[in-house]
Amino acid sequence: MRLLLLFRKELHESRKSLLVYLLTIFLVLLVQEMIGEISAQMSGFQYVTSGYGNLFPGFLLLGGFIVTGLLFAQDMFSRIGQHNWLMLPATALEKFLAKALASAFFYPIALTGVFIISSLVIEGITALLFGSPFDIFNPFDASTGLLMLHYLVIQSVFLLGATLFRKVHFVKTVLSAASIAVIMSIIGGVFMRIVFAPYFTDMFVLDISFTGDMPDAPVLFRGLWVYMQILYWAVLPVFCWITSYIRVKEVQSTDAVS
Amino acid sequence: MIHMKEIWFQYGRKPLFSRLQLDIPPGSIYGLLGMNGAGKTTLLKMISGQLFPLSGTADVLGFDPVKRDVRMLRDLYHLPEEFLLPRMRGENYVSIYAPFYPKFDQNAMEEYCREFGISLDQKLNELSYGQKKKFLLSFGLASNTSLLILDEPTNGLDIPSKSQFRRTVAAAMTEERTFIISTHQVRDMENLIDPIVIVQDGTIVFNSPLDAVSQRFSMQIEAEKPSDGEAVHSEKVPGGWMTVRDRRADEAETSVDLEMLFNTVVSNPQAFHHMGGAL
Repeated sequence: MRLLLLFRKELHESRKSLLVYLLTIFLVLLVQEMIGEISAQMSGFQYVTSGYGNLFPGFLLLGGFIVTGLLFAQDMFSRIGQHNWLMLPATALEKFLAKALASAFFYPIALTGVFIISSLVIEGITALLFGSPFDIFNPFDASTGLLMLHYLVIQSVFLLGATLFRKVHFVKTVLSAASIAVIMSIIGGVFMRIVFAPYFTDMFVLDISFTGDMPDAPVLFRGLWVYMQILYWAVLPVFCWITSYIRVKEVQSTDAVS
Repeated sequence: MIHMKEIWFQYGRKPLFSRLQLDIPPGSIYGLLGMNGAGKTTLLKMISGQLFPLSGTADVLGFDPVKRDVRMLRDLYHLPEEFLLPRMRGENYVSIYAPFYPKFDQNAMEEYCREFGISLDQKLNELSYGQKKKFLLSFGLASNTSLLILDEPTNGLDIPSKSQFRRTVAAAMTEERTFIISTHQVRDMENLIDPIVIVQDGTIVFNSPLDAVSQRFSMQIEAEKPSDGEAVHSEKVPGGWMTVRDRRADEAETSVDLEMLFNTVVSNPQAFHHMGGAL
Protein backbone atom coordinates (compact mmCIF):
# COMPACT_ATOMS: atom_id res chain seq x y z
CA MET A 1 0.00 0.00 0.00
CA ARG A 2 2.77 2.45 0.99
CA LEU A 3 4.67 1.44 -2.13
CA LEU A 4 1.71 2.55 -4.23
CA LEU A 5 1.57 5.82 -2.31
CA LEU A 6 5.27 6.32 -3.04
CA PHE A 7 4.74 5.55 -6.74
CA ARG A 8 1.94 8.11 -6.78
CA LYS A 9 4.18 10.67 -5.07
CA GLU A 10 7.07 10.04 -7.49
CA LEU A 11 4.78 10.30 -10.49
CA HIS A 12 3.05 13.43 -9.27
CA GLU A 13 6.27 15.23 -8.40
CA SER A 14 7.92 14.50 -11.73
CA ARG A 15 4.84 14.79 -13.93
CA LYS A 16 5.92 18.05 -15.60
CA SER A 17 9.39 16.75 -16.49
CA LEU A 18 7.81 13.54 -17.77
CA LEU A 19 5.32 15.44 -19.92
CA VAL A 20 8.10 17.55 -21.46
CA TYR A 21 10.13 14.39 -22.11
CA LEU A 22 7.20 12.56 -23.70
CA LEU A 23 6.37 15.57 -25.86
CA THR A 24 10.01 15.73 -26.97
CA ILE A 25 9.88 12.07 -28.00
CA PHE A 26 6.70 12.67 -29.98
CA LEU A 27 8.16 15.71 -31.74
CA VAL A 28 11.42 13.91 -32.60
CA LEU A 29 9.45 11.01 -34.08
CA LEU A 30 7.14 13.37 -35.94
CA VAL A 31 9.99 15.39 -37.43
CA GLN A 32 11.87 12.25 -38.44
CA GLU A 33 8.85 10.71 -40.13
CA MET A 34 7.83 13.93 -41.87
CA ILE A 35 11.35 14.45 -43.23
CA GLY A 36 11.37 10.82 -44.40
CA GLU A 37 8.00 11.21 -46.13
CA ILE A 38 8.90 14.54 -47.75
CA SER A 39 12.25 13.15 -48.95
CA ALA A 40 10.45 10.10 -50.36
CA GLN A 41 7.90 12.27 -52.12
CA MET A 42 10.59 14.53 -53.61
CA SER A 43 12.78 11.65 -54.74
CA GLY A 44 9.85 9.78 -56.26
CA PHE A 45 9.78 6.80 -53.89
CA GLN A 46 6.27 5.62 -53.18
CA TYR A 47 6.89 4.14 -49.73
CA VAL A 48 9.32 4.93 -47.01
CA THR A 49 10.02 2.61 -44.09
CA SER A 50 9.26 4.17 -40.71
CA GLY A 51 12.21 4.73 -38.35
CA TYR A 52 10.54 4.18 -34.97
CA GLY A 53 12.53 1.02 -34.39
CA ASN A 54 15.79 2.90 -35.03
CA LEU A 55 15.08 5.59 -32.44
CA PHE A 56 13.63 3.31 -29.75
CA PRO A 57 16.98 1.88 -28.54
CA GLY A 58 18.42 5.38 -28.15
CA PHE A 59 15.53 6.64 -26.07
CA LEU A 60 15.37 3.40 -24.09
CA LEU A 61 19.07 3.12 -23.30
CA LEU A 62 20.40 6.67 -23.23
CA GLY A 63 17.18 8.21 -21.91
CA GLY A 64 16.65 5.42 -19.42
CA PHE A 65 20.17 5.59 -18.06
CA ILE A 66 20.06 9.36 -17.69
CA VAL A 67 16.69 9.12 -15.92
CA THR A 68 18.06 6.37 -13.67
CA GLY A 69 21.19 8.38 -12.91
CA LEU A 70 19.06 11.27 -11.65
CA LEU A 71 16.70 9.14 -9.55
CA PHE A 72 18.25 9.83 -6.17
CA ALA A 73 20.01 13.15 -6.88
CA GLN A 74 17.58 15.32 -4.96
CA ASP A 75 16.36 12.90 -2.32
CA MET A 76 19.71 11.46 -1.30
CA PHE A 77 22.23 14.18 -1.99
CA SER A 78 20.52 17.58 -1.91
CA ARG A 79 21.14 19.16 1.49
CA ILE A 80 17.66 20.69 1.61
CA GLY A 81 15.78 18.20 -0.56
CA GLN A 82 16.75 15.07 1.33
CA HIS A 83 14.85 16.01 4.49
CA ASN A 84 11.38 15.21 3.08
CA TRP A 85 12.54 11.88 1.73
CA LEU A 86 14.39 10.76 4.84
CA MET A 87 11.49 11.73 7.08
CA LEU A 88 8.77 10.22 4.88
CA PRO A 89 7.12 7.41 6.85
CA ALA A 90 8.09 4.47 4.63
CA THR A 91 10.82 1.86 4.88
CA ALA A 92 14.13 2.32 3.08
CA LEU A 93 13.22 -0.68 0.92
CA GLU A 94 9.91 0.88 -0.12
CA LYS A 95 11.57 4.20 -0.91
CA PHE A 96 14.25 2.41 -2.92
CA LEU A 97 11.82 0.18 -4.80
CA ALA A 98 9.50 3.05 -5.67
CA LYS A 99 12.32 4.64 -7.64
CA ALA A 100 14.18 1.57 -8.85
CA LEU A 101 11.09 -0.24 -10.15
CA ALA A 102 9.84 2.91 -11.83
CA SER A 103 13.12 3.22 -13.69
CA ALA A 104 13.53 -0.50 -14.45
CA PHE A 105 9.99 -1.40 -15.48
CA PHE A 106 7.71 1.62 -15.63
CA TYR A 107 10.06 3.60 -17.88
CA PRO A 108 10.47 0.97 -20.66
CA ILE A 109 6.76 0.12 -20.56
CA ALA A 110 5.75 3.78 -20.67
CA LEU A 111 8.28 4.48 -23.43
CA THR A 112 6.93 1.59 -25.47
CA GLY A 113 3.41 2.91 -24.98
CA VAL A 114 4.47 6.40 -26.03
CA PHE A 115 6.17 5.01 -29.15
CA ILE A 116 3.08 3.00 -30.11
CA ILE A 117 0.68 5.90 -29.54
CA SER A 118 3.01 8.41 -31.23
CA SER A 119 3.45 6.13 -34.23
CA LEU A 120 -0.33 5.71 -34.50
CA VAL A 121 -0.86 9.47 -34.50
CA ILE A 122 2.07 10.19 -36.83
CA GLU A 123 1.11 7.43 -39.26
CA GLY A 124 -2.41 8.87 -39.30
CA ILE A 125 -1.01 12.30 -40.16
CA THR A 126 1.32 10.98 -42.89
CA ALA A 127 -1.48 8.83 -44.33
CA LEU A 128 -3.68 11.91 -44.57
CA LEU A 129 -0.95 14.14 -45.99
CA PHE A 130 0.98 11.74 -48.21
CA GLY A 131 -1.25 8.71 -48.52
CA SER A 132 1.47 6.47 -47.14
CA PRO A 133 0.49 3.13 -45.56
CA PHE A 134 0.30 2.54 -41.80
CA ASP A 135 3.62 1.31 -40.43
CA ILE A 136 3.32 1.62 -36.67
CA PHE A 137 5.99 0.80 -34.09
CA ASN A 138 6.03 -2.89 -33.26
CA PRO A 139 7.76 -3.72 -29.94
CA PHE A 140 6.84 -7.39 -30.06
CA ASP A 141 9.87 -8.81 -31.79
CA ALA A 142 12.87 -10.74 -30.49
CA SER A 143 15.37 -7.91 -30.88
CA THR A 144 13.26 -5.46 -28.83
CA GLY A 145 12.76 -8.12 -26.17
CA LEU A 146 16.50 -8.72 -25.94
CA LEU A 147 17.10 -4.98 -25.87
CA MET A 148 14.72 -4.68 -22.92
CA LEU A 149 16.62 -7.42 -21.06
CA HIS A 150 19.95 -5.67 -21.71
CA TYR A 151 18.36 -2.46 -20.49
CA LEU A 152 17.37 -4.13 -17.22
CA VAL A 153 20.93 -5.34 -16.63
CA ILE A 154 22.75 -2.12 -17.53
CA GLN A 155 20.11 0.00 -15.78
CA SER A 156 21.16 -1.68 -12.53
CA VAL A 157 24.69 -0.30 -12.99
CA PHE A 158 23.31 3.22 -13.39
CA LEU A 159 21.08 2.61 -10.39
CA LEU A 160 24.19 1.88 -8.36
CA GLY A 161 25.87 4.98 -9.77
CA ALA A 162 22.83 7.05 -8.80
CA THR A 163 23.18 5.99 -5.16
CA LEU A 164 26.98 6.03 -5.13
CA PHE A 165 27.88 9.40 -6.63
CA ARG A 166 26.82 12.68 -5.13
CA LYS A 167 26.94 14.68 -8.38
CA VAL A 168 27.19 14.16 -12.16
CA HIS A 169 25.86 10.64 -11.67
CA PHE A 170 25.49 9.66 -15.33
CA VAL A 171 28.95 10.74 -16.50
CA LYS A 172 30.67 9.33 -13.43
CA THR A 173 28.87 6.01 -13.86
CA VAL A 174 29.86 5.81 -17.54
CA LEU A 175 33.49 6.67 -16.74
CA SER A 176 33.64 4.24 -13.83
CA ALA A 177 32.03 1.43 -15.82
CA ALA A 178 34.39 2.10 -18.73
CA SER A 179 37.42 2.10 -16.42
CA ILE A 180 36.32 -1.17 -14.79
CA ALA A 181 35.65 -2.67 -18.24
CA VAL A 182 39.15 -1.75 -19.44
CA ILE A 183 40.79 -3.17 -16.33
CA MET A 184 38.70 -6.36 -16.52
CA SER A 185 39.52 -6.71 -20.21
CA ILE A 186 43.24 -6.48 -19.53
CA ILE A 187 43.02 -9.01 -16.68
CA GLY A 188 40.77 -11.26 -18.80
CA GLY A 189 43.13 -10.98 -21.75
CA VAL A 190 46.16 -11.94 -19.70
CA PHE A 191 44.18 -14.80 -18.11
CA MET A 192 43.07 -16.08 -21.53
CA ARG A 193 46.58 -15.78 -22.97
CA ILE A 194 47.98 -17.90 -20.14
CA VAL A 195 45.20 -20.48 -19.68
CA PHE A 196 44.40 -20.95 -23.38
CA ALA A 197 47.93 -20.55 -24.68
CA PRO A 198 47.72 -23.64 -26.99
CA TYR A 199 44.74 -22.15 -28.84
CA PHE A 200 46.52 -18.92 -29.74
CA THR A 201 47.83 -18.94 -33.34
CA ASP A 202 49.56 -15.62 -32.85
CA MET A 203 50.37 -13.38 -29.91
CA PHE A 204 46.77 -12.08 -29.67
CA VAL A 205 44.86 -14.29 -32.13
CA LEU A 206 42.64 -16.99 -30.62
CA ASP A 207 41.50 -19.79 -32.90
CA ILE A 208 38.08 -20.39 -31.34
CA SER A 209 34.74 -19.49 -32.89
CA PHE A 210 32.65 -17.19 -30.66
CA THR A 211 29.38 -17.99 -32.43
CA GLY A 212 26.62 -20.38 -31.42
CA ASP A 213 27.46 -22.87 -28.69
CA MET A 214 31.14 -22.88 -29.69
CA PRO A 215 31.41 -26.58 -30.59
CA ASP A 216 35.12 -26.26 -31.30
CA ALA A 217 35.93 -24.54 -28.03
CA PRO A 218 37.48 -26.44 -25.13
CA VAL A 219 35.19 -27.39 -22.21
CA LEU A 220 36.90 -24.92 -19.88
CA PHE A 221 36.30 -22.12 -22.34
CA ARG A 222 32.64 -23.04 -22.77
CA GLY A 223 32.28 -23.21 -19.00
CA LEU A 224 33.88 -19.80 -18.70
CA TRP A 225 31.44 -18.43 -21.24
CA VAL A 226 28.50 -19.79 -19.21
CA TYR A 227 29.92 -18.20 -16.06
CA MET A 228 30.27 -14.90 -17.90
CA GLN A 229 26.64 -15.12 -18.96
CA ILE A 230 25.54 -15.84 -15.40
CA LEU A 231 27.73 -13.01 -14.16
CA TYR A 232 26.17 -10.56 -16.62
CA TRP A 233 22.51 -11.62 -16.52
CA ALA A 234 22.15 -12.60 -12.85
CA VAL A 235 25.04 -11.58 -10.58
CA LEU A 236 25.62 -8.05 -11.89
CA PRO A 237 22.02 -6.77 -11.57
CA VAL A 238 21.46 -8.48 -8.22
CA PHE A 239 24.74 -7.10 -6.87
CA CYS A 240 23.93 -3.59 -8.10
CA TRP A 241 20.38 -3.62 -6.73
CA ILE A 242 21.42 -4.91 -3.31
CA THR A 243 24.35 -2.49 -3.03
CA SER A 244 22.12 0.41 -4.11
CA TYR A 245 19.54 -0.55 -1.50
CA ILE A 246 22.21 -0.66 1.22
CA ARG A 247 23.38 2.79 0.15
CA VAL A 248 19.80 4.09 0.38
CA LYS A 249 19.30 2.48 3.77
CA GLU A 250 22.45 4.01 5.21
CA VAL A 251 22.14 7.48 3.75
CA GLN A 252 22.42 10.31 6.27
CA SER A 253 21.74 13.99 6.20
CA THR A 254 24.37 15.69 4.01
CA ASP A 255 25.45 17.78 7.00
CA ALA A 256 27.30 14.78 8.31
CA VAL A 257 29.57 14.42 5.34
CA SER A 258 29.94 17.99 4.09
CA MET B 1 9.84 9.62 24.89
CA ILE B 2 13.47 10.43 24.08
CA HIS B 3 16.45 8.87 25.84
CA MET B 4 19.96 9.50 24.61
CA LYS B 5 22.92 8.04 26.45
CA GLU B 6 26.66 8.45 25.94
CA ILE B 7 26.13 9.83 22.44
CA TRP B 8 29.28 10.60 20.51
CA PHE B 9 29.08 12.49 17.24
CA GLN B 10 31.65 14.30 15.17
CA TYR B 11 31.98 16.11 11.84
CA GLY B 12 35.21 14.95 10.27
CA ARG B 13 37.76 14.78 13.07
CA LYS B 14 36.15 17.45 15.20
CA PRO B 15 33.92 16.03 17.95
CA LEU B 16 30.65 17.87 18.39
CA PHE B 17 28.97 15.71 21.01
CA SER B 18 30.92 13.55 23.40
CA ARG B 19 29.01 11.43 25.94
CA LEU B 20 25.84 13.44 25.45
CA GLN B 21 22.93 12.56 27.76
CA LEU B 22 19.38 13.69 27.12
CA ASP B 23 16.04 12.60 28.53
CA ILE B 24 12.80 14.13 27.35
CA PRO B 25 9.56 12.79 28.82
CA PRO B 26 6.24 13.24 26.96
CA GLY B 27 3.79 16.05 27.46
CA SER B 28 5.82 19.26 27.23
CA ILE B 29 6.91 21.93 24.80
CA TYR B 30 10.67 21.78 25.13
CA GLY B 31 12.72 24.77 24.10
CA LEU B 32 16.14 23.92 22.71
CA LEU B 33 18.50 26.86 22.95
CA GLY B 34 22.13 27.27 22.07
CA MET B 35 24.55 29.54 20.30
CA ASN B 36 25.31 29.23 16.58
CA GLY B 37 27.18 26.02 15.92
CA ALA B 38 26.36 24.58 19.35
CA GLY B 39 24.83 21.52 17.72
CA LYS B 40 21.07 22.15 18.03
CA THR B 41 20.19 21.16 14.46
CA THR B 42 22.57 18.19 14.60
CA LEU B 43 20.92 17.04 17.82
CA LEU B 44 17.47 17.33 16.25
CA LYS B 45 18.65 15.39 13.20
CA MET B 46 20.02 12.64 15.42
CA ILE B 47 16.69 12.46 17.25
CA SER B 48 14.80 12.13 13.96
CA GLY B 49 17.25 9.58 12.54
CA GLN B 50 18.77 11.74 9.83
CA LEU B 51 22.22 11.61 11.40
CA PHE B 52 23.77 8.60 13.06
CA PRO B 53 25.88 8.93 16.22
CA LEU B 54 29.28 7.26 16.18
CA SER B 55 28.54 5.58 19.49
CA GLY B 56 26.02 5.63 22.30
CA THR B 57 22.39 4.58 22.48
CA ALA B 58 19.28 6.48 21.54
CA ASP B 59 15.62 5.66 21.98
CA VAL B 60 12.98 7.82 20.33
CA LEU B 61 9.33 6.81 20.76
CA GLY B 62 10.56 3.34 21.64
CA PHE B 63 12.73 2.92 18.53
CA ASP B 64 16.35 3.30 17.59
CA PRO B 65 16.26 6.41 15.37
CA VAL B 66 19.14 5.10 13.24
CA LYS B 67 16.82 2.39 11.88
CA ARG B 68 14.24 4.98 10.78
CA ASP B 69 11.46 2.54 11.58
CA VAL B 70 8.19 3.40 9.84
CA ARG B 71 6.36 3.25 13.19
CA MET B 72 8.70 5.96 14.49
CA LEU B 73 8.58 8.09 11.33
CA ARG B 74 4.79 8.17 11.16
CA ASP B 75 4.62 9.35 14.76
CA LEU B 76 7.26 12.06 14.34
CA TYR B 77 7.12 15.26 12.31
CA HIS B 78 10.26 17.35 11.84
CA LEU B 79 9.98 20.83 10.38
CA PRO B 80 13.50 21.94 9.42
CA GLU B 81 14.73 25.50 9.18
CA GLU B 82 15.43 25.11 5.46
CA PHE B 83 13.05 23.07 3.37
CA LEU B 84 11.99 22.36 -0.16
CA LEU B 85 8.38 22.06 -1.22
CA PRO B 86 7.38 20.29 -4.44
CA ARG B 87 5.74 22.26 -7.22
CA MET B 88 2.09 21.51 -6.55
CA ARG B 89 -0.99 22.95 -4.90
CA GLY B 90 -1.38 22.66 -1.13
CA GLU B 91 -4.38 20.34 -1.48
CA ASN B 92 -2.35 18.00 -3.73
CA TYR B 93 0.50 18.00 -1.21
CA VAL B 94 -1.96 17.01 1.51
CA SER B 95 -3.53 14.27 -0.62
CA ILE B 96 -0.08 12.81 -1.42
CA TYR B 97 1.66 13.12 1.94
CA ALA B 98 -1.19 12.84 4.47
CA PRO B 99 -1.84 9.09 3.87
CA PHE B 100 1.63 8.39 5.27
CA TYR B 101 0.48 9.74 8.66
CA PRO B 102 -2.29 7.52 10.07
CA LYS B 103 -3.45 10.11 12.63
CA PHE B 104 -3.63 12.96 10.10
CA ASP B 105 -6.70 15.17 10.61
CA GLN B 106 -7.90 16.85 7.40
CA ASN B 107 -10.33 19.14 9.23
CA ALA B 108 -7.57 20.28 11.58
CA MET B 109 -5.33 20.97 8.56
CA GLU B 110 -7.96 23.21 7.02
CA GLU B 111 -8.50 24.94 10.36
CA TYR B 112 -4.76 25.57 10.91
CA CYS B 113 -4.38 26.89 7.37
CA ARG B 114 -7.34 29.20 7.92
CA GLU B 115 -5.78 30.46 11.17
CA PHE B 116 -2.48 31.13 9.40
CA GLY B 117 -4.18 32.71 6.38
CA ILE B 118 -3.04 30.04 3.89
CA SER B 119 -5.26 28.73 1.13
CA LEU B 120 -4.90 25.06 0.26
CA ASP B 121 -5.60 25.67 -3.42
CA GLN B 122 -2.56 27.95 -3.72
CA LYS B 123 0.51 26.68 -5.56
CA LEU B 124 3.17 25.99 -2.94
CA ASN B 125 6.03 27.30 -5.08
CA GLU B 126 4.26 30.66 -5.32
CA LEU B 127 4.11 31.11 -1.55
CA SER B 128 6.61 33.25 0.36
CA TYR B 129 9.08 31.57 2.73
CA GLY B 130 6.95 32.47 5.74
CA GLN B 131 3.77 31.18 4.09
CA LYS B 132 5.47 27.92 3.17
CA LYS B 133 6.60 27.55 6.75
CA LYS B 134 3.07 28.16 8.00
CA PHE B 135 1.77 25.56 5.55
CA LEU B 136 4.26 22.95 6.74
CA LEU B 137 3.58 23.87 10.35
CA SER B 138 -0.14 23.33 9.74
CA PHE B 139 0.64 19.98 8.14
CA GLY B 140 2.87 18.95 11.03
CA LEU B 141 0.27 19.92 13.64
CA ALA B 142 -2.53 18.19 11.69
CA SER B 143 -0.45 15.01 11.41
CA ASN B 144 -1.10 14.53 15.16
CA THR B 145 2.27 12.90 15.68
CA SER B 146 3.42 12.26 19.25
CA LEU B 147 6.68 14.08 18.63
CA LEU B 148 6.90 17.36 16.74
CA ILE B 149 10.34 18.82 16.10
CA LEU B 150 10.42 22.44 14.99
CA ASP B 151 13.74 24.01 14.01
CA GLU B 152 13.53 27.81 14.15
CA PRO B 153 9.77 27.80 13.46
CA THR B 154 9.27 31.55 13.81
CA ASN B 155 12.08 32.57 11.43
CA GLY B 156 10.45 34.31 8.48
CA LEU B 157 7.07 34.70 10.15
CA ASP B 158 5.52 38.15 10.38
CA ILE B 159 4.56 39.58 13.79
CA PRO B 160 0.88 38.50 13.76
CA SER B 161 1.93 35.05 12.59
CA LYS B 162 4.32 34.70 15.52
CA SER B 163 1.45 35.36 17.93
CA GLN B 164 -0.74 32.99 15.96
CA PHE B 165 2.05 30.41 16.12
CA ARG B 166 2.14 30.58 19.92
CA ARG B 167 -1.64 30.29 20.17
CA THR B 168 -1.86 27.42 17.69
CA VAL B 169 0.98 25.40 19.19
CA ALA B 170 -0.36 25.89 22.73
CA ALA B 171 -3.83 24.78 21.58
CA ALA B 172 -2.44 21.73 19.77
CA MET B 173 -0.54 20.55 22.83
CA THR B 174 -1.83 17.47 24.63
CA GLU B 175 -0.41 15.24 27.35
CA GLU B 176 0.54 12.61 24.78
CA ARG B 177 2.44 15.00 22.53
CA THR B 178 5.89 16.46 22.88
CA PHE B 179 7.17 19.46 21.01
CA ILE B 180 10.86 20.28 20.69
CA ILE B 181 11.34 23.81 19.47
CA SER B 182 14.84 24.92 18.60
CA THR B 183 15.13 28.67 18.44
CA HIS B 184 17.26 31.77 18.72
CA GLN B 185 14.12 33.91 18.94
CA VAL B 186 13.48 33.40 22.65
CA ARG B 187 11.15 36.42 22.81
CA ASP B 188 8.88 34.69 20.29
CA MET B 189 8.70 31.65 22.53
CA GLU B 190 8.11 33.31 25.88
CA ASN B 191 5.24 31.69 27.81
CA LEU B 192 5.30 28.78 25.36
CA ILE B 193 8.45 26.73 25.81
CA ASP B 194 8.98 25.01 29.15
CA PRO B 195 11.20 23.12 30.06
CA ILE B 196 14.34 24.55 28.55
CA VAL B 197 17.32 22.59 27.22
CA ILE B 198 20.52 24.52 26.54
CA VAL B 199 23.32 23.07 24.44
CA GLN B 200 26.82 24.46 24.66
CA ASP B 201 29.97 23.08 23.10
CA GLY B 202 28.31 19.74 22.42
CA THR B 203 27.04 19.32 25.97
CA ILE B 204 23.61 19.70 27.53
CA VAL B 205 24.46 22.32 30.15
CA PHE B 206 20.88 22.91 31.25
CA ASN B 207 17.71 20.83 31.16
CA SER B 208 15.07 22.03 33.55
CA PRO B 209 11.52 23.40 33.84
CA LEU B 210 11.24 27.12 34.41
CA ASP B 211 9.56 26.84 37.80
CA ALA B 212 12.68 25.09 39.09
CA VAL B 213 14.67 28.11 37.92
CA SER B 214 12.37 30.59 39.61
CA GLN B 215 12.48 28.55 42.82
CA ARG B 216 16.25 28.52 42.85
CA PHE B 217 17.16 31.92 41.40
CA SER B 218 15.78 35.42 41.40
CA MET B 219 16.02 37.70 38.39
CA GLN B 220 15.51 41.40 38.85
CA ILE B 221 16.79 44.77 37.78
CA GLU B 222 19.01 46.42 40.37
CA ALA B 223 20.34 49.95 40.42
CA GLU B 224 23.94 49.01 41.13
CA LYS B 225 26.20 46.48 39.52
CA PRO B 226 26.75 43.61 41.95
CA SER B 227 30.33 43.06 43.05
CA ASP B 228 32.28 40.09 41.73
CA GLY B 229 31.08 36.77 43.13
CA GLU B 230 27.99 38.33 44.67
CA ALA B 231 25.60 37.31 41.87
CA VAL B 232 25.42 34.34 39.52
CA HIS B 233 25.27 36.69 36.54
CA SER B 234 24.50 40.31 35.77
CA GLU B 235 24.32 42.47 32.70
CA LYS B 236 23.55 46.09 31.89
CA VAL B 237 20.00 46.71 30.75
CA PRO B 238 18.01 49.95 30.37
CA GLY B 239 17.24 51.12 33.91
CA GLY B 240 20.03 49.30 35.73
CA TRP B 241 21.55 45.86 36.02
CA MET B 242 19.58 42.69 35.38
CA THR B 243 20.96 40.45 38.10
CA VAL B 244 20.57 36.74 38.69
CA ARG B 245 21.10 35.68 42.30
CA ASP B 246 20.48 32.60 44.38
CA ARG B 247 16.98 33.15 45.77
CA ARG B 248 16.64 33.46 49.54
CA ALA B 249 14.01 31.27 51.19
CA ASP B 250 11.97 34.29 52.27
CA GLU B 251 12.22 36.00 48.90
CA ALA B 252 9.27 35.98 46.47
CA GLU B 253 9.75 34.08 43.21
CA THR B 254 10.42 36.20 40.17
CA SER B 255 9.45 35.49 36.60
CA VAL B 256 12.13 33.99 34.36
CA ASP B 257 13.45 36.05 31.49
CA LEU B 258 14.48 33.46 28.88
CA GLU B 259 17.14 35.62 27.30
CA MET B 260 18.66 36.34 30.69
CA LEU B 261 18.48 32.67 31.66
CA PHE B 262 20.27 31.70 28.47
CA ASN B 263 23.00 34.31 28.94
CA THR B 264 23.44 33.24 32.55
CA VAL B 265 23.72 29.56 31.73
CA VAL B 266 26.13 30.15 28.86
CA SER B 267 28.36 32.47 30.88
CA ASN B 268 28.26 30.38 34.04
CA PRO B 269 27.28 26.78 33.24
CA GLN B 270 28.81 25.49 36.50
CA ALA B 271 26.08 27.25 38.48
CA PHE B 272 23.46 25.07 36.76
CA HIS B 273 25.22 21.74 37.15
CA HIS B 274 22.39 20.53 39.39
CA MET B 275 19.72 21.52 36.81
CA GLY B 276 20.07 18.77 34.26
CA GLY B 277 23.47 19.83 33.01
CA ALA B 278 26.11 17.24 32.32
CA LEU B 279 29.20 19.12 33.33
